[in-house]
Amino acid sequence: MNTAVLVVDADSHVVRCNDAAAAILGRAPEALHGSSAGAWFVDVRGQAVVERTLAEGVRFKGAEAMVDRVGGGAVPVGISCAPILGPGGRVRGAVATFQDLSEMHQLRQQVLQTEKMASIGQLAAGVAHEINNPMGFIHANLFQLAEYAGDLRQLWGEVEQLQKVVSQAGSPEVREAAARLATLAEEVDVDFLLSDLAKAIRESQEGSERIRHIVQDLRDFSHQDNGELSLADVNQCLDSTANIVWPMMKHLVQLEKNYADLPAVTCYPMQLKQVFMNLLVNAFQAIESKLGASAETGHIVLRTEHHGADVVISVADTGVGIAAGDLDRIFDPFFTTKKVGAGTGLGLSTSYNIVQRHGGRIEADSQAGEGTCFRVVLPVDGIGDDA
Amino acid sequence: MTRDGPSLLIVDDEARILSALQRTLRREGYEIVTAETVDEAFEILDRRDVDGILSDHKMPGMTGVQFLGEAGRRRPAAVRMIITGWTEEIPREDLEEVGVCALVTKPWDDAKLKATLRRALGGGA
Repeated sequence: MNTAVLVVDADSHVVRCNDAAAAILGRAPEALHGSSAGAWFVDVRGQAVVERTLAEGVRFKGAEAMVDRVGGGAVPVGISCAPILGPGGRVRGAVATFQDLSEMHQLRQQVLQTEKMASIGQLAAGVAHEINNPMGFIHANLFQLAEYAGDLRQLWGEVEQLQKVVSQAGSPEVREAAARLATLAEEVDVDFLLSDLAKAIRESQEGSERIRHIVQDLRDFSHQDNGELSLADVNQCLDSTANIVWPMMKHLVQLEKNYADLPAVTCYPMQLKQVFMNLLVNAFQAIESKLGASAETGHIVLRTEHHGADVVISVADTGVGIAAGDLDRIFDPFFTTKKVGAGTGLGLSTSYNIVQRHGGRIEADSQAGEGTCFRVVLPVDGIGDDA
Repeated sequence: MTRDGPSLLIVDDEARILSALQRTLRREGYEIVTAETVDEAFEILDRRDVDGILSDHKMPGMTGVQFLGEAGRRRPAAVRMIITGWTEEIPREDLEEVGVCALVTKPWDDAKLKATLRRALGGGA
């Protein structure tokens, strides 16, 4: 990592700089000369480091700050600053050295994300297991209850018939009992009760079915043991997955495919297909929610590229896009913006895990309202023996 | 509820699973005995023979596979099956080694469970 050096005079104007500084700030060295050093630091911390060094003649070591790269936004840097002292200890200027920390930040972020995934994966596996036991009897009981309710309805039909018959032709005691039965039946509203019983059971069955799916997702999230490691054609993986989901989306989507010639990739093809499936379904849903009931169609572009030791697969859509504030959280487990019941918030985090396991990375670019592009970068021979 | 069909011992440390399974199999004609612990199950097996055993896997003291292995030594003729919420955690070799002939996942599908048991026990109503 090259260390950038800026030398400033007592008024904080740049008098010298090296190429590394020019590179980080995105300017030619000449363009930096004479400019105010404080202007390059976009946050107060960075400005304060230079200003206090000049004002107090003290040395600062290793503060983190952000600098403004022309055309490239803010860059995180680690900055140190030392005063240049003249005769009598008068501060004549300062030397600021800083290094680009972008890569380190990214690595740190990745490590954090990986750790988070690992611990949540463990938790998820445990939870899924524990849920399956009670779900076992709830599911089975609901099924039996539905049968019982059917039997009761049939039985009640006969009882009603009997009540009608005996209320007209029986001994006074029998008629009186039949009248009591009729009164009670009206009080408890047997017809409503029987149909609502069936409805309540049906709705509970739907709920239990939903829980079953969530547990299945949790299991997939924490437990990727599907498929075998092999050399696979990623284009084919992507294409066959697209074919599976195509019928679901063809009324709303125009699909464009730009496949490059790719080398065979060492991977778990089933798992990669799961990632592609997830990205495709998300793309489709994003378009679906953007278009609503309008008669327009959206676009999904599937692209594969070969860059050196990597293959890059991208899925771009013209859907609703992701709000800037959500972009940092989309790979977090259980984060979802879909409506209740439509998603568990595990799709992208599972995809993240899978890509991570393949030694690759997954990234998203999005413009709210315009669309989203997911890129999966996979090393051609990414999976080591330990995977 | 006891019937004259094949006899089935069900072992699960969760009593509600036992009663749900009994509900499910009520009309299948099996003579069903249940045990909430492996010790209780061994007592039953020492006392009487059964045609089939359906056991949970994750139980205190002993896994279902271990239990079925021992149960097979005591009652070799009994058909042995596992019911579990997490089928992946049991290695296939272990299942074969102790002679487990069927694996049922929780939550189970009623029709599939009934079919599995009919196939295994060759009887039922």
